[in-house]
Amino acid sequence: MNVEFIHRPGNAAARLTLAENESVVAEGGAMISMSDNIEITTSTQQKAKGGFIKGLKRALVGESFFLNHFKALQPDAEVIVSTTLSGDMTTLELEGNRIIVQSGSFVACEESVDMDLGWQGFKSLFSKEGLFWLNLSGAGRVVINSFGAIYPIAVNGEYIVDTGHIVAFDETLNFQLSKAGKSWVSSILGGEGLVCRFNGTGTVWCQSHNITAFGRSLGPQLKPIKS
Amino acid sequence: MPITEKHDNGYDFKLCCKPDFGFATVQLKANETIKVEASAMATMDTNIKMKTRMKGGLGRLITKESLFINEFTAEHGPGEIGIAAGSTGDIEHVYLDNETIFLQNSGYVASSPGVALETKWQGFMKGFFSGEGLFLIKCSGVGDLFFSTYGAMIVIAVNGDYIVDNNHIVAFTEGLDYSVEPIGGYKSLFFSGEGLVTRFRGQGQLWIQTRQVPAFSSWVHPFRRVESRSSS
Repeated sequence: MNVEFIHRPGNAAARLTLAENESVVAEGGAMISMSDNIEITTSTQQKAKGGFIKGLKRALVGESFFLNHFKALQPDAEVIVSTTLSGDMTTLELEGNRIIVQSGSFVACEESVDMDLGWQGFKSLFSKEGLFWLNLSGAGRVVINSFGAIYPIAVNGEYIVDTGHIVAFDETLNFQLSKAGKSWVSSILGGEGLVCRFNGTGTVWCQSHNITAFGRSLGPQLKPIKS
Repeated sequence: MPITEKHDNGYDFKLCCKPDFGFATVQLKANETIKVEASAMATMDTNIKMKTRMKGGLGRLITKESLFINEFTAEHGPGEIGIAAGSTGDIEHVYLDNETIFLQNSGYVASSPGVALETKWQGFMKGFFSGEGLFLIKCSGVGDLFFSTYGAMIVIAVNGDYIVDNNHIVAFTEGLDYSVEPIGGYKSLFFSGEGLVTRFRGQGQLWIQTRQVPAFSSWVHPFRRVESRSSS
């Protein structure tokens, strides 16, 4: 799969070019256009990997329940994928290593990549930030998106990132969710909520803007929902 | 195929800040007129006079576009006018030489008086399910046409069949045949999250956008306040 990014970084889209019989798996709704020589199937899972339960887990984390499989029937097939909010996109390469992607940042991957869901436990329920991770392993290319710009940070030792700004990170990093301030009250009132404390050696990909914060700034301007 | 460059018989203009915040600056000669979508005028010289005209009548009303197109004329000498669409995104220009382009109904920004605009009934099957409204704006004649997108713009030369998600269509040239269809069977229709797509056939040019307004609106929706009826 060849990946070409168009119009980075503001409203990026990715043009995926497939060889004959090559397949790409994309999040439901990501496709914006494609050539005719592609077969699409919709499923709740990656082919021969996991099943209905995996689909259900994905739905729980706000990812689309369904994945679309695009298979090239002829050489030089193309699929263009994008996302909802403005921002950048990039690729991650897996070569037997594992990368953890914040669930909303996943766009597409080669079919050779295995996808599973991690849940970060009870603590994340308090954060309202949808702290769910996709565990990606195997070998292949992954396309991810960010809200705003995307920038990698090489961590060696300890580093703290606000949970709303995490796009992805190497699984070699240990991490611990903790409150940003000294007490829970100051953390929540301070608006910082949860932060992720990384530890070890690896890369964290961060996004310049926080989706939840943007949504909260728009909410009060809109007509309320009558219940 | 319409050309995108400046034409000798067309406006003297500049497009800036592409692709995220497209903005057009047009230098009008004395007594030259430009038609601009209501609210798209951003800046202008003081000798430019505005006239409001109802164009397209009822059709425009039904496409949910504003009913009005304003005409700006440079009086007593040349003048400059700056034009931008409401949403962030790209702006594109074509010069029509007795050619026709179909625009998605919110894509129109500005045009020469020589470009005729009509709303086009798509027929029930084509338009009704498309989610993009029942009408396209048919732009034909001679002159400049400016149109905009939400998000960046991608130009695709169609030769054969090409498939686009309905909400990402911006414009296409006349001569392309098109039909609205579900994608990949019924399971995909309901569950793929892709909804309906348009299949273009033939040879022509297609402009698509990298983001779409309906998806953004539904993303914002959960952030709305909830107000109980009894308290209001």
